[in-house]
Parts: sequence; structure tokens; C-alpha cells
Amino acid sequence: MTMRLTEWVTERVRALSDQTRLGIPGGPSLAYVAGWVIVMLLGVEAITGAALSAFYAPSTASAWASVAYIKDQVPLGWFVRGLHFHATSALVIVTGAHLVQTAIYGAYKKPRELVWWLGLVLMVLVLGFAISGYVLRWDQAGYWSNHVEIGITASAPLAGPTLKGLALGGNDYGNLTLTRFYALHIVALPGIVLLVVGGHLWTSRLHGSTPRWGHDGLAATRRWPRQTLRDVVAMAIVFAILIGYVISQHGADLAAPADPGAAYDARPLWYFRWLFELRHLAGSMERAAALLAPVIVGGFLVGLPLIDRSPDRSPRKRLPYIGAVVGLFVLITVLTLKSFATDAGDEALAKRQAASEMLASRARALAVANGVPITGAQDVFKTVPMYTARSIFEHKCKGCHDAHSKDRKGPIIGAGHGNRAWFEAFLRAPSGDAFWGRTKLAATEDAMKAVELTPAELGDLTELLYAQSGASDADATKRARGQAIFDKACTDCHSTDEGVAGASGPGLGDLGSRDWYTSFISNPKKAVHMGTLGEMPRFDGDLTIIERDAVAGYLTWLRTASQADLDKLGPL
Amino acid sequence: MVDDPDRRGFLKVATCAVGGGLGLAIVVPALRVCVAPTTAQTVTTPTDPIDLGALDRIKVGAPWQRIDVIAPVVKDAWTTEHDVPLGGAWVRRVADRQLQALSSVCPHLGCAVGWDGKGFLCPCHGSQWSASGALVANTGPAKRDLDPLPIEIKDGRLRLTWVRYKLDMAAREPA
Repeated sequence: MTMRLTEWVTERVRALSDQTRLGIPGGPSLAYVAGWVIVMLLGVEAITGAALSAFYAPSTASAWASVAYIKDQVPLGWFVRGLHFHATSALVIVTGAHLVQTAIYGAYKKPRELVWWLGLVLMVLVLGFAISGYVLRWDQAGYWSNHVEIGITASAPLAGPTLKGLALGGNDYGNLTLTRFYALHIVALPGIVLLVVGGHLWTSRLHGSTPRWGHDGLAATRRWPRQTLRDVVAMAIVFAILIGYVISQHGADLAAPADPGAAYDARPLWYFRWLFELRHLAGSMERAAALLAPVIVGGFLVGLPLIDRSPDRSPRKRLPYIGAVVGLFVLITVLTLKSFATDAGDEALAKRQAASEMLASRARALAVANGVPITGAQDVFKTVPMYTARSIFEHKCKGCHDAHSKDRKGPIIGAGHGNRAWFEAFLRAPSGDAFWGRTKLAATEDAMKAVELTPAELGDLTELLYAQSGASDADATKRARGQAIFDKACTDCHSTDEGVAGASGPGLGDLGSRDWYTSFISNPKKAVHMGTLGEMPRFDGDLTIIERDAVAGYLTWLRTASQADLDKLGPL
Repeated sequence: MVDDPDRRGFLKVATCAVGGGLGLAIVVPALRVCVAPTTAQTVTTPTDPIDLGALDRIKVGAPWQRIDVIAPVVKDAWTTEHDVPLGGAWVRRVADRQLQALSSVCPHLGCAVGWDGKGFLCPCHGSQWSASGALVANTGPAKRDLDPLPIEIKDGRLRLTWVRYKLDMAAREPA
């Protein structure tokens, strides 16, 4: 039955049966596996890429977010993305090795020039995949690397600026940059790769494998199954190494979202590092080096079958060519290693990179916890609780009000600000260091004196002041007793009527409520607040009403917050 | 009749003409679409001064401070976005009413330039500039000083005009 089925198929697909009968000169060998390993790796890219494309969203606002989602929230997303990314490294290694091997064997010689050239095109396409794929993540690494790559392209004579416009899809980085690189990455390049791989395989089958040295003229054996087994085993070994590497690296990195304003130590992918190093070494010739080195290397490889034309493939007669190819390979390796060594010895760089990694993991953690705002990945940092208020507090208030500020000029504002304990401590020592102690007011006659009352009376007065904020847990009885004490002892200077200034001190009606805070921040020098006694500047010019209200909301939150609550908010 | 060379020649030409014409009819519009944005203004950023906040955020004599330049509106292809970071400006206040601003865009290939306490440093290829923004010779591939940006004070607010210059050349020309 099986036999008949096989016959039925082979009768109809003659080419397939020809494939299995194809001869391997001198018998099967591991030396012939590279081609199929490359096909396998391209298959890995195609399948993982198809899966990723079902999640990826190419726009400046959503690209990073969708990649972070794949990496951190889609089950096995990190693994598939890791395979997709690191398989490119494997492709560079295997195609590079295949190229060197082919060159050493002299397998590019007539009639196999086309095979060789199509192979070179394939190598360039792999690098094209790497460049077009790296920018798609729209993180700091991909975004800035692309700036350098496009910058080099743009500096090319004549066509440079046009190529730049073509790549960016206009005059600047934007949505079209992503859609274009995406189209290139998933449609144009794969299409071309299919044609090139097809052509490479077809032409190489046409001429058969190049025999190893000394195997010329030996009888050829069928590819199936002895060579095919070696191919499959080699594929499995390479794939196993790839999986091991992906797991050890937890997939592929993702830096913080692209930020056009923030410096980032962009480094090219490792297989471009030799060019990066060459530019450093070339000094003022760096532009020439960046543009010419690939042209020279490429030109040499393309021209190889045209210069090394004698039919003799024996290594002894081709020492200069073998030497040139091996020398080139060694030079690229040395430059690559040197580039990594230079970075490894740079302590300032290591510090900056550690900071970048911190930022990246914060962005990813926030994306998982809160989602990424539709307004753009940068805004993920704004999803922390009370972002607006806290960042204003950080920039506008901390200098004068933070317990750890060296230049503190006003009362400490921190967890528990305006709760019962705070009021009680304040009443005991208004000019204490944590309160008015550092103000100019404290040194004057106008400064409030310490309140001398029995502990019970102090508790009642505290309740009255605490209740002004509208706190729902205020005790009405205690508050009423506190009001009696206030009317007797405090009204010389203060008032608790809403919006009414005291005789010489601030009005205390609604003290500590959100509206009161907003009013105070807007203009502390208003008569109902500090009048001429205060030093704090008004903020109604600098901050919008929405921002002032946000800060007021934060301050009322602080009243019930502990230091632990504050720490839980996380960094800004 | 069948092997008439004239007829065969005509058939060849006709086949190529019809096939080629069909191919062109499909490919030309597709290619035209792809290259259309190349010379177009697809991203429109404000050309008038952008508000950077109150003047007092910069103290006289303080070191360079990086301020994000946030465009109120950017049109990018099919979107209109608000509050979009365009890049950074390094700003300092040399005297009460006198400000200086430098673009954080490296004049080499456009990476964002950082401040290392003594001078400016481009993290991508190591170019360095002095504290005044002057290029330090032989440190990296940049060919000119950091680009100054127009900055003014209006009603107590800092207002900066964002300009991108052509990269990787000694002369300073708006891009």
C-alpha cells in the first residue's frame, strides 16, 4: 500500500524523486549540511514571525506596547519572540560559516558562480531582516540604532537623502517609518528570500554538490536517506542550541520605550559590531569607513569567482584566495571582539546601561500592571498612582518641604501630613523644626506660640482642626468641645469660619480639605491664608487649575497614608 | 503558415507587449504608492516657539539642564497627537534675562547627547563637546559644535523654537 502510494506520488512529482536520487560525490558527509540548516532556520523565522505578526501593531503609539505584551503577557510569547530574534544570530553564524567553507573549497568556480552570488544575496537579505526587524520594537535600542543606520545611509553620496526619505516614509520618524519597515520585514524581504533561496537551491542542485578535496571523480551516492539523516541531525543540533540560548537569555531584550529626548547608549547588533569598531578606528575617515568597508568586502566576495578562475580547486594552488577569505573572517572577528572589550572596560558606560535596564524593567512592569495608554508608550510611566501630582510635588514642592531636602524652608510634608498626630505635635510646638522652624516667620514676633492646654483639651482642639478637612471619622462631641476652646483661646488671631481670615493669622475654615489646599497652593499670600506672613510663592501662574487640584488631592491622600503606603507607590 | 517567421516574430512581440503591459499596469501604481512619502512632509511639528515652562525653573548660573521639548500638537501621517516629545534641549541661564539652549540632537547621526558633569558626550560614537557646546577635537566623528536653538522669555515663560539641522556635515543647515 505504502509502496503504491509512493509510486503514485513520484510518478506525478518527478522532481521530488529526482531530489532523492540526487548524487552526493564521495558519499554523505557532515560537510554538506549547512544549506539545509539555513533552510530550517529560515523556517523558524517564518513560523515564529507569522505568530508574532498576529500580535504586533506597527504605529508609534502601539509598537512598543504590543511587543511588551508579547514578551510579558502572551503565554510563551517571550519564547517565540526569543526564537525569532536569536535565530537571526544563528543564521548569520551558519551562513557565514557556509560562505567561508564554500570559499575554501573553491565551490564558487565555474559553473557554480550563480549559486555563490545567490548565496551572497541571501546573506545580505539576512542582515536586511535584522535591520528592519530591530526598529519595529520601537524601544530605545531599536530606535537609536536605526538613527545611526539611517544616518549612515543618508550620508551616502547622491542617493543618500532619497534613501533616507524612502526608509523613514517622509521627513521624520513617525508612523510611516514603522509601517514601511514592517512591510519590508514581513512582505518584501520574505518574498525576495523565497526567490533567492529557490534559485540558490535550484542552481546548486543543477550542478550537484561540490566534492570535497580528493573526492573528485568518486562515485556519487544517493542523498536519501544517508545524507538526509545527517541534514536532519544537524538541524536538530542547531535548533537545540538555539532553544538553549533563548531560554538562557529569557528570550530577547526589550529596552524602555523610544524617547526622542533621552540619551541612550545605542549599540549595533553583534554582527555589525565590526563596522562600529572600524568607524572608531578610522577617526576622521569614519564616514568613508562605514560606507566603503561593506562595499569593499562585498565587492571582493562577488568578484571572487571572476578572479579565481582556474578550474583547479586544490588548496595549495589557491593559497592567496583562501588566505584572503580567512584573513577577512579573522579581521572581522578581531574587530568584533575588540569592540566588546572596549565597552566592557568602560565603567561609566556600565552605569548608564544599568540605569537603562532599570528604566526598561519599570516600563515593562507598569505595562503589565496598568496597561499602556493609547497616547503612546512613553506615557506608561505616567500610569503610576497620582503621577501628575507626584511629579509636580517632586519638581516644585520637595525642595522646601521634603524631610531630606538640604534647602528646606517650610514644614515637612510627608506621610500623615495633617492627621491628628500631626496637628497635636504642631500645636505643642508650631515653631518646631518639622513645622514653622525653618521659616522666616518663626524668628519674628508674629510667630504662633506653643499652645498650653491639658492633654484632653489639646485632643479636643486637635479634633476641631482635624475636622475642618471634612474627614468622615471626626468625633462630633470632641469637635464641639474643641470649638469652645478655640473660641476662647484662638480667635484673637484665627477664625474657623469658611473663607474668613483671622485677625492676624490665617483663617482655618476648611483647613486641610482639597479645596483649601488648592486655594492655598494657588496663592498662599491671600489674606485668608498667610497674607504678608508667608514666603511660599503662588502657583496659579505656573500650574493649571487641574494640576493644582491634583496636588491638593495628593496632599489629602497623604493625611491617611503611612510611610509604607508612600513607598508602595513606587518611583516616578 | 505556422512557421512563417514574420508571424512568429509578431506573436513574440505581441506576447511580450501584452504581458509586459499587464505587469507594468500592476507594478507602476504599487511602486508609485510606495515611493510617494519619500519627499513628502509626513510629520509636521510646530515651527513657532514651544513653551518650556516658567522661567524660574532655570536658576542663574546653574549647570546645563535637560528639558524635554514637548510639542503641543504633531501631525504624523493619519494621526494628530498632543504633547509629543520631539527631543531634548540643554538649557542654562547665564544672566537673569539671558538664556542659552543647545539641541540634544548629535550633529553626527542624531543620537541624543548627554551631559557628564564637565561637558557633553554622545553615547553612540563618543563625540565630546565642552561646557559651552564647542566640539572637542579628535574625540569622535561629529563635525561641528552642538546646535544652538533660539530661546526667548515671554511673560515669564521659556519659549524655544525647535529646529532640526542636517546631520554629519560641518556647516549648519536646517533639515
